[in-house]
Amino acid sequence: MTAPLLQVEGLTVAFGHGAGRNVAVDDLSYTLEAGETLAIVGESGSGKSVSSMALLGLLPPRSARIESGVARFRGTDLLHLPERELRAVRGNRIAMIFQEPMTSLTPVLRIGQQITEALVEHRGLSLRDAREKALETLRLVDLSDPPRRMQQFPHELSGGMRQRVMIAMAMALEPDILIADEPTTALDVTVQAQILDLMRDVQARFGTAILLITHDMGVVAEMAERVVVMNKGRKVEDGPVDAIFARPRADYTRRLLAAVPRLGARASEDGPRPTVADPAHPGDDVLRAEGLGKTFAGRGRLFGRAAGTVAMDDVGFTVRAGETLALVGESGSGKSTSGRAVLRLIEVDRGRIDLEGEDMRALPQRSLRRARRAMQMVFQDPFAALNPRMSVGRLIGEPMQIHGIARGADLKDHVAELLRRVGLEADHMRRFPHEFSGGQRQRICIARALGVRPKLIVADEPTSALDVSVQAQVLDLMLELQQSLGLGYLFISHDMAVVEEMAHRVAVMRQGRIVEMGPRRAVLGAPRHPYTAALLAAVPRPDPTAQRPKLPQLDLGTIPMGPLAEAAPGHWVAT
Amino acid sequence: MARFIVQRLLAALVTIWIASIAVTMLIHLVPGDPVRIMYAGFQTTDAEIEAIRTRLGLDRPVWEQYFMYVGRVLTGDLGYSIVGNQPVLQTLLQRFPATLALTVSSLFIAVVVGGSLGFFAAYKRGTAWDFGAMTLAIVGVSMPHFWLGLLLLFLFSMTLEWLPVGGSGWQNLILPALTLGLATGAVIARLTRSAMIDIFDQDFVRTAHAKGLPKTLVLYRHALRSGLVPVVSMLGLQFAYLMGGAIVIENVFAWNGVGRLAIQAVFARDYPLIQGFILFFATVVALVSVVIDVAYALLDPRIRYGT
Amino acid sequence: MSAPDTAQAGPAAARLSGVQQALTALLRSPSGAVGLAIVLLLVIAAVFAPLIAPHDPLRMASGPRLSPPSAAHWMGTDQLGRDMFSRVVFGARLTLQIGVIAVGISLTSGLLLGLVAGYAGGWTERVLMRLVDVLFSFTEIVIALACLAILGVGLVNAMIAIGIASIPFYARITHSVVLVEKNKPYFEAAIAAGASRLRLIFVHLLPNVIPTLIVVGTLGVSTAVLAAAGLSFLGLGAQPPQPEWGFMLSSSRDLIARAPWMMIFPGLAIAITVLGFNLLGDGVREVLDPRQRAR
Repeated sequence: MTAPLLQVEGLTVAFGHGAGRNVAVDDLSYTLEAGETLAIVGESGSGKSVSSMALLGLLPPRSARIESGVARFRGTDLLHLPERELRAVRGNRIAMIFQEPMTSLTPVLRIGQQITEALVEHRGLSLRDAREKALETLRLVDLSDPPRRMQQFPHELSGGMRQRVMIAMAMALEPDILIADEPTTALDVTVQAQILDLMRDVQARFGTAILLITHDMGVVAEMAERVVVMNKGRKVEDGPVDAIFARPRADYTRRLLAAVPRLGARASEDGPRPTVADPAHPGDDVLRAEGLGKTFAGRGRLFGRAAGTVAMDDVGFTVRAGETLALVGESGSGKSTSGRAVLRLIEVDRGRIDLEGEDMRALPQRSLRRARRAMQMVFQDPFAALNPRMSVGRLIGEPMQIHGIARGADLKDHVAELLRRVGLEADHMRRFPHEFSGGQRQRICIARALGVRPKLIVADEPTSALDVSVQAQVLDLMLELQQSLGLGYLFISHDMAVVEEMAHRVAVMRQGRIVEMGPRRAVLGAPRHPYTAALLAAVPRPDPTAQRPKLPQLDLGTIPMGPLAEAAPGHWVAT
Repeated sequence: MARFIVQRLLAALVTIWIASIAVTMLIHLVPGDPVRIMYAGFQTTDAEIEAIRTRLGLDRPVWEQYFMYVGRVLTGDLGYSIVGNQPVLQTLLQRFPATLALTVSSLFIAVVVGGSLGFFAAYKRGTAWDFGAMTLAIVGVSMPHFWLGLLLLFLFSMTLEWLPVGGSGWQNLILPALTLGLATGAVIARLTRSAMIDIFDQDFVRTAHAKGLPKTLVLYRHALRSGLVPVVSMLGLQFAYLMGGAIVIENVFAWNGVGRLAIQAVFARDYPLIQGFILFFATVVALVSVVIDVAYALLDPRIRYGT
Repeated sequence: MSAPDTAQAGPAAARLSGVQQALTALLRSPSGAVGLAIVLLLVIAAVFAPLIAPHDPLRMASGPRLSPPSAAHWMGTDQLGRDMFSRVVFGARLTLQIGVIAVGISLTSGLLLGLVAGYAGGWTERVLMRLVDVLFSFTEIVIALACLAILGVGLVNAMIAIGIASIPFYARITHSVVLVEKNKPYFEAAIAAGASRLRLIFVHLLPNVIPTLIVVGTLGVSTAVLAAAGLSFLGLGAQPPQPEWGFMLSSSRDLIARAPWMMIFPGLAIAITVLGFNLLGDGVREVLDPRQRAR
C-alpha cells in the first residue's frame, strides 16, 4: 500500500501565550487518500476550521501558533515548509474555498483577473492562455456566459454564482486536494444542493481529494466517504461514514447524531412530539392575517425612486392557540418580513392583522403598546437581541414592568420563576447577557417573552445561530411551553427538518408570496407545489444510506405564483 | 457613473445654497446694531449710519435681503469691503492662488507621508515599527499646527538659515506647506492604518493568500487597491481641514492668502468681506469634494458600474 | 440528549464592579495609562496652580526681561519679565475650562440632535442630517470664525464658538451610532415588549450611545484645546494679560530668535495636553471596544 496523499499527525495549534494560552487543536491526526472525501465535522469551537487553515499556513500570524505536529503531503511536511515553498503548494496542489462567498472575492478586481492570476503565478501561463483556461473552468462550473463573467466584478454576481467562481478558481489548477471550509453554510438549501452536486462532479472529473469541513451532518452523509468527528479541539472518533452514522462509538458522536433533526422522522404523525402528559390541543384562532402587502421603497433618488422590492404580496394565514404555523422559505422569500409585520415592527402597506379579534392595524400607538402584551417575539440572534447594558433580571422584568404586571419584590419573584421555567437559575438575574452561552441567551429571550403571558410568539429562526445539540434543547423547551401553556407559535425557519419537528401547519413562501399552505403532514409529505417539492428534495439527509433525490428542474418562468386555491381541505396551493 | 457625478454636483449646490442662507443670516445674529459695530472705527453721524443701512439693504425684510444678496452673487458681485472699499470677489480671487498653492502642496505632502506611514504601520501591525510609526503620528496629531510652524521656522530659517523668513516666493512656500502637510499627514497616517488593517482582516485577502500568490502581489493588487477606496473617500474632508488649517498657517508665515484676509476681516468686523469669505470657502470645499468623490468612484467598481 | 448547555459563568460574588473593571482595563492599556497620567497632572496643575507656581503669573518684572531658563525661572521670563513657568501652570486652568465648556456645549447639543434625528427617521432625519453634513464640511475653524464675527473676540466667546463649531461632528457620530443600535434586534425586542418612546430612547438607545460619546468627547477635548489655542494665537481668543498658552505663543512669534523658550514651553504644554487627551481617548476606546483591543 502506498503512503496516503496527506497524513496529519499530532497537530496542535494554540492561541495566545502563558496563562492566556488556549489550545484550539489538540494532537489531531488523520489521513486523506487521493480522490476521497474526508469530512471533518464538529460544532463551533471544535477546532475544525483552525486545523485546516494550519495546513496552508493561513492562520493569523501573530495570535495563532502551530505548537507541534507533522503534515506529510507528497513527501514534504507542510507545517515546517518555508513560506516560499508552501506558497508553491498553496492554491496549486492544495486549493481552498471558504464559507462566505459574498466577502471572499476581492471587490475591486474583475472575476477574470482573480481566476487567471493563480494560473499565471503557478503555471507561468501567458495571460492569453490563462484566459482560455479560466473560460474553460467557468464553463465547467456551469456559469452562464463565461466571457461576460470574466469581465464582471464580484458585486454583480449572486452568492451561489460567487461560490461557483470560488470553485472555478480553486479547480483551475487541478489541485490534488480541495479544502472546503463550510462551503454551503451561507447558501440557501436549493443553491447548496447545486454546489454540492458541482463539487462531486469536479471531484469525479479530476480525481481531487476533498477535505470537507462542516457542522452539518446532512452534508457529511451526502458527501463524505470517511469522517473525523471533533469536539473542543480533539478528535473524538473517525471512521467510514456508514459506520459513524450506524454505529457511533463515542458518546459525543451519539449525542450529536441524536440531536440532528431528520426530515421524514415524523412523516406519519400529525403533530409535534408530545412532551407533557396532557398537551394542549390547537384551539381558537389567535392570529388572523389577510392580504398583507409590503413594498420596500427603492433607494431614494433625486427624481423619483428606484423600483422597490416587493417583500410581501397578498400574504394571509391564521395561527390557533396551542398551534405552530411554520413559515418556510429561502432568503428573500419574505418570511421574516411577515413575522415582523404581524407584530407591527414593520408597517405593512395593505392588509388586515387581527389578534384575538382586534384589528391591530387600526390601533393608535398607545393602544398598540398595550396590545403588544398578547404577542411576543424570539429572535434569531440571541446575542444581539438582549440589550448588553441591562442585567438579565431587568431584561426579563422589563415587559412585565411596562405592562404593569408586577413590580418590586413581586417582579423579582416572577423573574426568578421564569428563569427556572426555562431551565436557568434564579440567581442568574444579576448577571449580564455576555456571561451566558448562546443557548442560555435564547432561553433568556424566551423567558422575557413568557413574562407577559402572551397568546402568540413569533419565533424568527430561533435556533439557526445555535449548535445542533443546543438547538435540540431549545426546540424541546419551546414544545414543552406550547403544550403546557397553549401558546400559538408563528415559527419562521429555513430548515425543513426543524419545521417538521415543530409545526402543525406549514406555509411555504417564495418571493413574497405564499405558494403552498396546509397541514404539515400533507405539505411536507405530499407537496403539491413544484417549489415545495424542490425545497424538500434539496435538503441533505443525515443518513449515508439514503440517496438524495435528483434535483428537479424548476422552470422559474412557469412556477404557479398566483392566488391560493384549496386543493384539499385546509391545503392551499398557488395557481 | 454619470448619475453619480450629477448627484454629487447637486449635493455641492445644496452646500453652497445653505452657505448662502447662513451668510445672510450671519449679520442678523450680531447682537446690537451691525452697522454701528462695523463702522465703530470710523467717524460717522446718525444720518450716515442710516444711509449705509439703506445702501446695504439692511432695512428691508430678511427674505428680501436674501434674494438681493443671491441676485448679486449670481452676477459675481459679493459687495465691497468696509475697510478699503474694495470689491470682495476680486480681493478673494487675487489672494486665492496663494492659498491654493499652499493647500495643494500640503495635500501632496500629507498623502505621500501619511499614506505610506499608515500603510507601513498596518503592514507591520503589532511590531515595534508599527508602534514607532503610530507614536510619531499621535504626536503629530497632538501638536498645534502653528507651533510646529514656529518650530520649523526657528530651525530652518533662524538656526540653520536655509530658508527665508518672509516673502512670497516658492522658497517661502516650503515651510508652510511642510507644516500643514506633516500635521495633516499625521491624521491621514492614522486613518490609513485603520482602513488597511480592516482590509487585511477581510476574507478576500485570505483567499488571495490561499491562491498562493506572492505576498507583495496580495498586498498591492488585492489589499492596497481595495484599501484606496476608503482612504480616498476621506480625502475630501481632509482637504476641507487643510483649507481651515491654512487660515492659521498663513498667519504664522505671513503668507498672503485668503485665510490671512479672513482673520483681518473678523478683527475689523468687516461683514461683507466675512460673508464673501465663508461663501467662497464653502464653494471651493464643495467643488473639491466633488472631484475627490469622482476619483473615489473610479476606484470602486460598485459605484463605477452601479446605477 | 446532549449535556445541558448551562455552562457556568463565573460566580457572581467574584465579579468586580463595572467601574473598577473598566479602570483596571484602562490602566492595562499603555495609551490609556499614559493618557490618564497626563490628564491627572493637568488637573493637579490647574487645581493647585497658586501653590505650584512660584510667582504671580500676571506680575511684570518678576525677574529680568527675556531671561533664559534658570534656577530662578525654570522656563525663563517673557518680554515683560513675567515668570513663564507660573504662566504655563496657570494656563492649565484656562485650558481645562476651554475643554470642559466647549465639549460640554457641542456634546450635549450634538447628542440631542443626533438622537432626535436617528430616532425620528424620515424627513426630520433627512433634513437635519443634510444640514449637519453641510455644516460639517465648512470645518470647525470657519464656523468658529463666523461665530466670532457675530459675538466679537474674547476667550469666552472663543469657547462658545468652538463649542458651536463642533456640534455637527458630535451630531454625526451620535446619529451613526443610533442608526446601528436602532437596527439591532434588542431594540426591536423592546418595541415588541411595548416600551414607550421615552423608554426606548433613554433606557435602550442612550446607554448604548454613551460609551462611544465618552470616547469621542475625550478626544474632542484635544480638538477644542487645539482650536482655542489657535484662535488665541490669532488674537481672536484670549486677550492680554491672560496666561493662555496659544496667546503666549503668539507673543513669542517676533522673539523666536532672541527668546526661543517663550515659544517652546507653551507649545510643549499644549502638545502634551492634547496628547494626553488623545491617548486617554484611545485607551478608553480600547476598553470599550474589544475588537480594537485585538489590534
